[in-house]
Amino acid sequence: MRESVVRSIGLTASLAYGALVVWLYATQPQSMAQVSGGLTSIIGAYTIDQQAFEDGLRFFRADKFPEARAAFSRADAAQRDARTEFYIAYTYYREGFGRLYNDDALFKQGMTAVDLAIALAPNGRLVVDDPDLQLRSADELRAELQRGLQVDASDFNPLRVLRKRK
Amino acid sequence: MTPVREAIVLPLLLLTVALLGGLQPGARIAFVPPSLFCLVLSSLLLTALVRSGALDPARLMHGARTPLANLNGAVVLAALLAAGAQVFAMLTPATGLPLFFVSVLFLVLLLNTLVANPDRVRLLRSVAVILGAGLVLKFVLLAGLSQPAGRTARVLVALFDAATFGSVAQDPQPAAAGYLAFLTAVLYLVAAALLPGSERRETGTALRMQLPEV
Repeated sequence: MRESVVRSIGLTASLAYGALVVWLYATQPQSMAQVSGGLTSIIGAYTIDQQAFEDGLRFFRADKFPEARAAFSRADAAQRDARTEFYIAYTYYREGFGRLYNDDALFKQGMTAVDLAIALAPNGRLVVDDPDLQLRSADELRAELQRGLQVDASDFNPLRVLRKRK
Repeated sequence: MTPVREAIVLPLLLLTVALLGGLQPGARIAFVPPSLFCLVLSSLLLTALVRSGALDPARLMHGARTPLANLNGAVVLAALLAAGAQVFAMLTPATGLPLFFVSVLFLVLLLNTLVANPDRVRLLRSVAVILGAGLVLKFVLLAGLSQPAGRTARVLVALFDAATFGSVAQDPQPAAAGYLAFLTAVLYLVAAALLPGSERRETGTALRMQLPEV
């Protein structure tokens, strides 16, 4: 084989391998599923497990939130799908919602999940067309979670018990 | 040096070292980039490799070479710097007094190697000793302190930890971490041995035997 061919192949392979190393350090995947999911999403070939997603939706609508999260997490093992991460964030919101007080720990996890969903969405805009939801955009969900985490005078309003979960 | 070694084998080895050096295995894997100090150590090691003749940069990048060949050489040099930094980061304990003392140990050993100005073979042996010492310190001695076996050992380690204000004990590491570190260090040494070296040079301070004039 000609020397220039060997050198060209070596250079291309080295640059590709080097880019992979830099990508791994930059994105910090925590499992092999995230590595493979990240790589397939780069070339636009990533798909979620549709059956697991449907299971998650069914659990979500039945207010079985831990089960829904498990199914959604299975559907999007690589955490690359904005819509699935949005639903995961929504499970934290609905589970953490309380008429007297919200569960801050769950709301914080919801914030993390919705931030991930926003980061994954094209241009950070995510709208989910689901009639079951009152908060259909990631921005609305994030703001609702943010309000739930803040302590202000309205938290001491007795009429607060009348508010409804969205 | 053959084009295959320069364009394929060396980048592959060194980039693998750069990848594995920062990999922390466990239930959740993590990739830890090297600290600035590790980059400094890697630069010192690169200097030592050049001074000893283990690496001749002119055989990797030179005006007489083709641009493609120079690009291959640049990749090797960049990967060598990154791999060295990752190897030192991998062998340096994560926290506390061990982090400080092992960092100082690496610095002193590298400076000593630079000043001693060894030839290629001696430098490679010296690097093997430095990496081996770091491996034993972190993955045998400190790992043993972090995961003591038996109740008595645990009590002694707990007392020792309390006496040193918790500044010695490290977080327990999975068993795979030690084996991975060993593999990474070996790959680095193999890559260092495969680097294009210079002709054997005479050092200015070398002792020479002279016959007395009659």
